[in-house]
Formats: sequence, structure tokens, C-alpha cells
Amino acid sequence: MGIRLDGVSVSYGGTTVLDSLDLTVEPGEFTALLGPSGSGKTTALRSVAGFVRPDSGRVFLGGRDVTDLPPYSRGIGMVVQSYALFPHMRVDQNVAFGLRAQGVPRREVRTRVGEALELTGMAEYARRHPRELSGGQQQRVAISRALAVRPQVLLLDEPLSALDARLRSEMTTELARLHRDLPDLTVLHVTHDQGEALTLADRVALLERARLREYDTPRNLYDRPRTAFAAGFVGSANLLPGRLDRGSVRFCGLDVDAPDALPSGVADGDDLRVCLRPHRLTLGPSEHTVRGRVTDLSWRGSTHRVTADVDGHSFTAEVPGTAEIPDLGTTVELGFTRRDLVVVPAGEEP
Amino acid sequence: MLVHDRLTRRSIQTVFLLVFLPLFALPLAVILAASLSTNWSGALPSGFTLEHYAAVLNGPTLDALRVSVVTAVIASVCALVAGTWAALSAHSLGPRGRRVMDALFMLPVAVPTVVVGLALLVAFSSPPVLLNGTQMIVFIAHTVLVTAFAYQSVSAALDRLDPVHAQVAASLGARPARTLFLVRLPLLLPSLSGAAGLCFALSMGELSATMMLYPPDWTPLPVRIFTATDRGALFTGSAFAVVLMATTLLVMFALSLVRTRAGHR
Amino acid sequence: MTALAPHPAPRVPEPRRPAEGPPPPRRGLPAWVWAVPPVLALAAVVLYPLGAVVAESLTGPDGAATTAHYAEVLATERFRDALATTVFVAVCATAGCLVLGLGLALVIAFVPFPGSRAAGRLVDTYLSFPSFLITLALLFLYGTVGVANGIWTDVTGADTGPFDFMATPWGVILAEITFFTPFVLRPLLAAFTQLDTAQLEVASSLGARGGRIVRSVILPEAFPALVAGGALVLVLSLNEFAIVLFTGAKDVVTLPMLVYSAAILEADYTTACVVATVNAALSVCLYLLYRAATSRLRGPAGGPRKHGTQKDGTQKGGRRAGA
Repeated sequence: MGIRLDGVSVSYGGTTVLDSLDLTVEPGEFTALLGPSGSGKTTALRSVAGFVRPDSGRVFLGGRDVTDLPPYSRGIGMVVQSYALFPHMRVDQNVAFGLRAQGVPRREVRTRVGEALELTGMAEYARRHPRELSGGQQQRVAISRALAVRPQVLLLDEPLSALDARLRSEMTTELARLHRDLPDLTVLHVTHDQGEALTLADRVALLERARLREYDTPRNLYDRPRTAFAAGFVGSANLLPGRLDRGSVRFCGLDVDAPDALPSGVADGDDLRVCLRPHRLTLGPSEHTVRGRVTDLSWRGSTHRVTADVDGHSFTAEVPGTAEIPDLGTTVELGFTRRDLVVVPAGEEP
Repeated sequence: MLVHDRLTRRSIQTVFLLVFLPLFALPLAVILAASLSTNWSGALPSGFTLEHYAAVLNGPTLDALRVSVVTAVIASVCALVAGTWAALSAHSLGPRGRRVMDALFMLPVAVPTVVVGLALLVAFSSPPVLLNGTQMIVFIAHTVLVTAFAYQSVSAALDRLDPVHAQVAASLGARPARTLFLVRLPLLLPSLSGAAGLCFALSMGELSATMMLYPPDWTPLPVRIFTATDRGALFTGSAFAVVLMATTLLVMFALSLVRTRAGHR
Repeated sequence: MTALAPHPAPRVPEPRRPAEGPPPPRRGLPAWVWAVPPVLALAAVVLYPLGAVVAESLTGPDGAATTAHYAEVLATERFRDALATTVFVAVCATAGCLVLGLGLALVIAFVPFPGSRAAGRLVDTYLSFPSFLITLALLFLYGTVGVANGIWTDVTGADTGPFDFMATPWGVILAEITFFTPFVLRPLLAAFTQLDTAQLEVASSLGARGGRIVRSVILPEAFPALVAGGALVLVLSLNEFAIVLFTGAKDVVTLPMLVYSAAILEADYTTACVVATVNAALSVCLYLLYRAATSRLRGPAGGPRKHGTQKDGTQKGGRRAGA
């Protein structure tokens, strides 16, 4: 069952929190709603769930207009950041809650609770109370509870952000596995963590200031962003002011042949932004080379980050931890090739 | 949040107002309206007058107001000191000692107020201590009754107080007394002023024990209200009641300002 | 009027109680010494007087200990009627407060509308007024020459109206329900604000409707607050005196009323002490039950979140002490 948002706008007391959002999620697709806080991503999810009534626009689930339906009639499953397990119920009672609310026969409830707990590896904890479980285990129970009702659509509202880093990566793997095991389940996942979005999602909807900025596969969003915002928000980027001039891009005193794929709307003579990913830069000369003074060094275990000042523009390069690292204040050469270059229209940056 | 259907929500809210307003808003409005009227036997009161309030200004009632305020101030101050002291010392005891202190200081809540009055009367009408017929016995009764609240209020605030501030103070070399007066009590100030307001309000409205104890020369306002209504002067009684409520609210409002300022610091 | 509000504890992680850790090493006086002065003061003005009441009730005219007063007083019809009336009024008032308080709290918390917060604040204000004001207001409204009867006679042309219950136990019950409902409402609202609203949303996304959510999510979590509020109202209504006094009803004699008339109107201290002892024993037992129940409820089944709720419930007890 797919999800379609058709011009959905939401405002609270004069502030527009979601501005005419159009979004289509294909059946079985895992879509991440990514954006900084206040970008409207949670509001979008809540309007799918039915907790927010759009001021205008319609919400469709599987082709059916559900805009006027209450949440309990929408056939969704939902997992939230705080888990929201019912503290007075055991794990199995939590998971059974939705089934009993929907009037599933008692015998069937038991088997489906078992299945749902099996799915997240929590079967052995069925008789425990939520407070006896760790955060990661509670989140697994919350996922089981949402899946037990066999929803066509699963809504995840920042489900991992209350977990510590190690558990978060464990649960990310877990969610990826669930998505593979349940190919018919459509998932809408709200997150502000680009890593989660890039790892899990088939497509990422990037929101910013109540609007949808880009909607694409993670790969395209990362490799070929079409806006300065996307370039800067998804992965780190050196964003440098430049200009398109007769088929070549001029920036920082360089003159590079324009990439083959130019974003639409960029015409000759336009100001634009050049996006260079730090890990694509190398120390030492290459096809194109800039020279600058080292202003900052930081070691990150497997990599070094070298920041240099090039004609007043800051360049950050991420080089292997094994590389020879220049001293602070010395002059360094940073190299890249034409293929490392992505050009985006000048515009809002994160 | 629970009700998604607009019609159902409207009808629930209508029922709410139909129950809530007559039950809670009406009585206050009625007393206020009655205090300004001479007659009320139809739907609305009639005969607007201020003469009931003029009656407040003549001797006995003004005296009664003064008696009530003095009593309430004395009782609140004593209760705050005793309650805070008791709560602080209870918190430095182990869990068992704490439970004993809780039980002792909450006892006046469980015992009927009339019985507290009777007890003081019986105990202090015979030697070694003779207080029957004095103002002192009224002060004691009010203090006893509101101390339980002060104790509980401070105790609850201590539970919520993050011990980290006191620990930091101690790590900086402050002795317990300095920590208490410069760190813990200032942090408790908002709760203390809240407790003070409540103690004052309780004492202002205390009738049950007072009826057992008050000497003729120390008649608090609630007793005046009762004697007025008991002899059928309901309208005058209402005016006295409005004065009582207004005084209480005024003092509590002043104390809440203290609390807001303390809270913003 | 938020001035007196013992507000629901904000949802912050509860700091560990200092009392639970090992006491820090300290020089000077041991901790218990500081508890001695307030306990002595309490003993002088509470424990000694209460002891005097019990002693008086157990002392014969010759000064010897005797239970004869109990046998005598407990056998009188007056005492038995008063006991029955007290329990009847208290149970009815408690039931009424529970039903009403729960209903109002659910609406204020979960079906909010403009003004519902103001309604909550009005209820707060109530807690700072003496109880007898309610009786006074109800006398205007439902008294024999009150508004309700006035309207009735105006409309129907009859000589007298049908409302004549202010001098019966029902008048007392109505006044007590009005005055004590806030004691149920407050802890419930505090418990509701501590409820993670995501729980309600998840429940509703799983297909549960309002009724089921109230029954299986909200009520179990608010149960300790409900029990605490109900038990407290039961104790308070057993002890209530001012409301009964103000109705002026000769036939509604509760135990506190009996204590008052015996001691003050008839100067019969012995009878007053016997009744007072029975009344106090009844209330204290109920109060202990209430404290045991609430501390148990917040223990295994409740989890840490019940903490604030329970506390809020007991605060009403202190709140009520003098009115």
C-alpha cells in the first residue's frame, strides 16, 4: 500500500510548518523524511498517521483518501522515539494491544504476538515488563507491537534517536533486515540523522523550512545533489562560490570544464556553488590543484581532516589516517579531478 | 486527542460545561452576587446595595478580619519554621526515621479537625498548662493544623531538589550550615512561599477547631460568618465571605510574586 | 490562580533521594539530634492533647481506668445514628467525587478546548477557600427560599418549590462533592500530564478507539492517583465539620458534629472524648490504609513515574488540614 500526500499544508497559529507537500511513496518502499529540526518532517508523518489534520491537501493510503479518517481506522503501525510502551502491561500484552483493539480472535492473537516478537528476536522476553528491558529491547518490542497488526504502512518517528551510538547502529542493521524480510511493507521513517537515512532508505525526502527540497535515492542525493542545501546537509561538503562561464566553471582562481550533468536552471554566466566532498580531495597535486595554509587539523581514527584556507575560502580534505600530515600554518596542496566536481545553483545552504 | 470526531467532541465539551459551570463557577458567583443584594428569591438577585460591605467596616467585623489575619500570619510563620525544620531533619534521617517523621507530622491531617480542637481544649484546661480562653490556644490550634501542610510541601520540594547543588557547595568547602542557608534554603524559596500562601489560606478559612476554642475577645472572621448566617443574615454573611476570599487571594497573590521572582533568579 | 498550586512535578529525571545513599560522613551532632526539637514541639501540642482525650475517655468519675463510658456512649441511638450518617455521607460523597473528578479530568486533559485550562485554574482557586462557602452558596441556590425554588414557583405558580434537601444528608453530600472533587481532580490531572501522549497516539494508530484507550491505557496508569484521591476524600469527608455546621440541619448529625455539640453545647467532655476517639481512630486507620496503598502502588507496579502523582495526592491531605 503506497502513501500519497497531495499538496498537504499544515500551520499552527500562523506559522506554516508544512507547505503544500507532494510526496508519493511506492508500495514496499522505504522512504526517509530527512531534515533539520523544524523542517516539518514530523508533521508530515503525523498527518499520514492522522494526528494532524491538514489545513489543505489530501492524504492517500493505497489509493484511498484517508484525510478525514481517524488514526484508528487507517491501518498503520507506528513506532516513536520514546517507545511509548504501556508500562503497566507485559511485553506480550503490549504487542497484543492492537490485535485485541481490532477484535482479532483470542487464539490468533497469541500466535501473532509470538510471530511479531520472533521477528525482532524478543520472544524470550514476552513475560517481562517494559521497565525491565534496556532501551534497545524496548524499541524492539515497540516495533513488534507495530508489526503485529500487520500494517500496510509502518511509520517510524525518530525511532533510534533515544539510543546510544552502538545500539543505534545495531538497530539500523535490524531495521534494514526487517525491510528485506517484509518486502510488502511500506515504511516512512522520520530522522534528522543523514547516516540512518542513507543506510536504510530506498528514497530520501529532504525537507527544509516546511518545504520538500529534494526527493531522490540516497545515492543521487549524495553524488548529484541538485541544491546547495542538499549538498551541504547530506554528507559534508566544501561549498565554494563560482560561476558558469562559457562551458567552464570558475572558482577559487581555477577554471574547470563544466561537469557533463548540469542541474536544470543553471545558465551561462550564472552564479553557482561548487560542491567538493572532503574525501574526494587528496593531499598533493592532481588534475586540479589549489594551494592554501593549514588552519585546522583533526584526527578521527581512520581519517585525518585537514582544513586549509585557500584565498579566503575554507577547504576541508578527509585523508586516510596513514597519510603524511602537514603541520599547522604550513602551505599545503589539495588536488581533485573534474569528476569530483558537482555544481549546484547558488541558494540556501544549511 | 482521544476523540477525533468533531460532533462527539462538541457534545462531550457541552456536557462538561453543563456539569462544571453550575458546580464550580456558580457558587462563587452566587456569593458575590448575594453580597451585593438585599433580596434573592427569583432567578436573579434584586435590590443592589453596598450596605453589607458597610457592615464590614463597623467594629466587630473589621476586628474579626484583623483577628483572622493576625492569627493566620502567626500560624503560617510558626508552621513554616517548624515544618521546614522537621522536613530538613527528616531528610537527613534514614528511610525508617523518615517514615516515622512523616507519620508524626501528617497525624493532624488524619485526625478530624474538631478532635484536634477538643484535644487542645481538654489538655490545656487543666494544669500544668492553662490556656483555655486565651488567644494563645487559637494560635496553637491553627499552627498545628497548617504545619502538616508546610511539612509535606517542603518535604516534597526536598525530594525534587537535585542534591548536586549541595554537593558542589560541600566540595567547595562550605560547612552544612552555610550550605543550608546559602544554597538549599534559597533553592527551596519558591516552594516555601507557595507553602506560606497555602498555610495562610488554610488558617484564614479554619472554622472547625476554632469553633471549639475561640475566646470571646478573639473571634476570627469565619466564626463571624457563621454567626451571621446562623441567625439568617445570609446576605451579610456573603459580604463577609467575599472579604475573606479577597484578603486570602490578595495575600496569596503577593506571595506568588515572591515566588515568581525567586523562580526567575 | 496558581498561587497555591502544589504543581505537578515537572517531568525531569527524579534526582536520587539523598536519604537513600549512605549518609555523608559528618562531624558534630548526629542527624537525629536535629529531629528532636520539632518532635518535642509536636509532642507538646499534638501527641499530649490527643493522649489527654483518650485518657479522659477511659477515666471514670473516681479517677480509675474504665471502659464504661464506651459501653454507655456506643450503645446510644444518637451515636449509632451519627456513625451511620457519617459513613453514608462519606461513602456517597467519595463515590460522587470519583465519578465527577475522573470525568472532568479526562475532558480537561484529553478533550481540551479554549478555556479548559482556565477551568483547571478555577478548581485550584477552590482549594484556597474554606469549605463552608460552598454550603453558603448552595443555600442560596437550593435552599427552601433559594433561587431554584424561586424559579420553580415563578414558572409553575406553585406556592413552594420541590427543592428541600439542604437540611438532609443529600445537601451535605452535594456540598462535599462540590468541595472535595478538586482533591480527586488535581492528582488525576497531574498523573495525566505525566502520561506520555505518544502512548495514546500509538494506541490509536493500532486501532484503539477513545473508550478502549481510556480503559486500557489511561486508567491503569492513573489508577494510583485515583485511589489516592478517593481515599483522601473518604478521610476528609469523615472528618468534615464546617459544611455540616453551615447547613444548619438538625437531623444531619455526623460524628464531628456530635463531638462539637457534646463538648461545646452540652459541656459533656467525657462523651465528646469517647466519640472523638472513635472518630479519630476510624480516620487514622483509613489514612494509614491510604498511605500503605499508595506507597505499594507506587512500588512494584507503578514505576518511578507514579512518584509525583502520589505525592500530589497526599499534598491535598495537608492542604485540607485546617479548613
